[in-house]
Amino acid sequence: MTITYDDYIKNFNQCVEKYIPPKKNWTPPDLAVYGPKDPFKVPIKEGKKLQFDAIKYQFKNHYENNKMYHGFCKELKFTPDKIKKYEDLEKIPLIPGEFYKDYPNGKDFALWLANIFTGEIPQVKISGKNPNFDDIINAFNASGLAVAYSSGTSGRHTFIPRDNRTFFIAEYAVAKNTICMAYPIYSYDMKGYLLMPNPFKTNVFAGKVCTIYFDAISEVKSAIDREINTELIKLSMTGSGGFKAKMIQKYLAKMNKKIINNIIKWIEKNYKEKNKIVFAGAPFFLYAVTNKLKEQGKTFDFSDRGAILTGGGWKVHETKRIPVADFRKQMKEILGINPEHCLDLYGMVEGNGWMVHCPEGHYLHIPYTYYHPLVLDDEFKPVGYGKWGRFAFLDGSTFSYPGFIISGDKVRMLEHCPVCDRPGPVLEPEVTRASGKEMRGCAEELRRMISNDVGGK
Amino acid sequence: MTSLREMKEKGYIPQKMYAKLFIAGAFSLSKTLLLNMSDLKKLRKIPVGSERYIRPKREYEIPKFTEDMKINNSNEKYLRPTLYCDHREPEVVALAHKLGAYKKSDREFAKAAFELVKEHTTLEICPLNRVGETLNRGTGTCFHLITAFIALCRAAGIKARYKVFAMNMIKAWYDSVVEADPLVKKWYDSMGYFMLEGEGEAFIDGKWVVAHVGPKAERQAAAGIPITKFGEDSIGRWFFAIPGTIMTMESIPYGFSGSTKLLKKIAPGSMERVNISILKQIEKGRKIIEDAGGVEAYDKMSRAEKGAKKPELKIENKSQIVFED
Repeated sequence: MTITYDDYIKNFNQCVEKYIPPKKNWTPPDLAVYGPKDPFKVPIKEGKKLQFDAIKYQFKNHYENNKMYHGFCKELKFTPDKIKKYEDLEKIPLIPGEFYKDYPNGKDFALWLANIFTGEIPQVKISGKNPNFDDIINAFNASGLAVAYSSGTSGRHTFIPRDNRTFFIAEYAVAKNTICMAYPIYSYDMKGYLLMPNPFKTNVFAGKVCTIYFDAISEVKSAIDREINTELIKLSMTGSGGFKAKMIQKYLAKMNKKIINNIIKWIEKNYKEKNKIVFAGAPFFLYAVTNKLKEQGKTFDFSDRGAILTGGGWKVHETKRIPVADFRKQMKEILGINPEHCLDLYGMVEGNGWMVHCPEGHYLHIPYTYYHPLVLDDEFKPVGYGKWGRFAFLDGSTFSYPGFIISGDKVRMLEHCPVCDRPGPVLEPEVTRASGKEMRGCAEELRRMISNDVGGK
Repeated sequence: MTSLREMKEKGYIPQKMYAKLFIAGAFSLSKTLLLNMSDLKKLRKIPVGSERYIRPKREYEIPKFTEDMKINNSNEKYLRPTLYCDHREPEVVALAHKLGAYKKSDREFAKAAFELVKEHTTLEICPLNRVGETLNRGTGTCFHLITAFIALCRAAGIKARYKVFAMNMIKAWYDSVVEADPLVKKWYDSMGYFMLEGEGEAFIDGKWVVAHVGPKAERQAAAGIPITKFGEDSIGRWFFAIPGTIMTMESIPYGFSGSTKLLKKIAPGSMERVNISILKQIEKGRKIIEDAGGVEAYDKMSRAEKGAKKPELKIENKSQIVFED
């Protein structure tokens, strides 16, 4: 018998209880994130009210407690009292995502992080004469923060200073939003394979945010179990010459083969034991795994007990991008995982808004109870539904930095999903980079880092 | 002869990061050249009948040096002569006086020097030389041009220094400078980033103000980016600095000149091809600016198109951040 949705989500909430603050302490942003049983099915009117209250609350918070953002708003002559109705939200000053890439190095980097932070920063002790990025981030995180970064593809990371409260929201939202969409397949006794670095050994956002899977699922394995830091990413991705870089690249190439073999062994074991499985992370790993299984003539049938949650981009090789529909087809053919259980996520280090494919139409649904999506034209003015433009958002869930951001991604937003009956807005299934922007996506980072021969044919 | 102490003080001995980048660049270039000997042979020379580089005419007049012109003889850091940057050379002193040295405020003068170097000199890939020669010629690599800006500032008694970093360049510039020559492209692609890039900085009213003098307005227009103004950084516009590689220095270090001379000797054809491409970019940019209705109109339009307004961040000390050296 199929579990009821209420029991399903209750079970999930019990597993991840530590991420949810006590109800008596909830502010409007907490209510908007933790309150709805299914963030994608809240009636529009109710969702807009939750969103408005959360964003208004956060705007006031950043305006009053973040000197950088206060100055920016003052310059643009925008104050909290100007937010009176829902339509006023779109007037909130947006920060270009590039701002969070424009950081100094050395000790100044620590001060930069402290200066973009909203509110009081705890005491952070940084050792060493010439601390590097990793030293500084680790020192911040040892003081109770959760600084994470992403998109080192061009050699330039985006650093975001989350406090623990904001990071818990990011983790809770990524898990809950996917689990809601994957109903009823999730259960605690599932076995998970994280196609990402071990969350406990990296500050790369896409990896770090997956810590919650270790609480939501009984047994999780990580594809990459070594420490991944900015230095390693730089050495492996910028192609900088030198003995150390060559050694790292050789090591990663060797590790790739091992990862693919490990995943295959894990699939075989769980198939034999009739376990329910879930893969979460970069699609190129699974593409390579299924290519190898195809070569070996092996197929599986996980149709009623398998799910795949992908994210971070669809490049599977330096010159090849796989269409999402083809990926789902290959997963069905080789692993037997049903296309409706093969869902893609779209999110970024700059925000906590995780958009997830609906199983029916594979459109990216926006969690509108705390997240206001915008599509901007070339002059950074909002355009209506159905038009292509740059994606921007007002994230009502970030307490420690202003999550009112213009991304570098090109999207088209629709008022409702053309396929399913969830009431909120959606993005068309595949997101690309706006012209002039560097290539990005955590899967692309990962793919390039360990790309030598995983990509398949 | 320069003493070891002076070498150290003035920064003639490369900083650790500089040496690291420099060695990486040299290694990468050597590897590219060794693995592409047949290409090198072909690309060394420009085939007969092909387009050749013709250096553009200098765009400004240099007055004659006269004895009554005030010379900055300070030995203070950032005010004294350094490698390839002797601000006491007659051409520098004369030009500095023409620009208003000791008459204008520091900011006004530095701005005038910035305008002259940025908008009236032309990028040309060539070996490093003394700064007077650069001003006489009116062309040079970004390091020639930065040196010219720094020398003019020092000649007017304004402290000035180099800001150097390893970078990724924006695509438009990659197309015109890197794609222009197959060998340069292989070098760039094999490294992931070009060796080094830089800017000048002048010390004005207690602050270091950046001067990105490398590209003239036409080249920026050809790339579709705004015209950088005095005080605006190239990082984030033309380039993305590789994290951890930004260095400030009083002087160009030893070794830099040798590498450009060697490059000229090994791959003169590549250098020429890049220079031809740069002139074409300038021509293209000139047309874009004309069509837009002038430099200001182009700049306004491209700023509106190219970027949403960013917050200004003044980094302040925070008592909660404790450095335990």
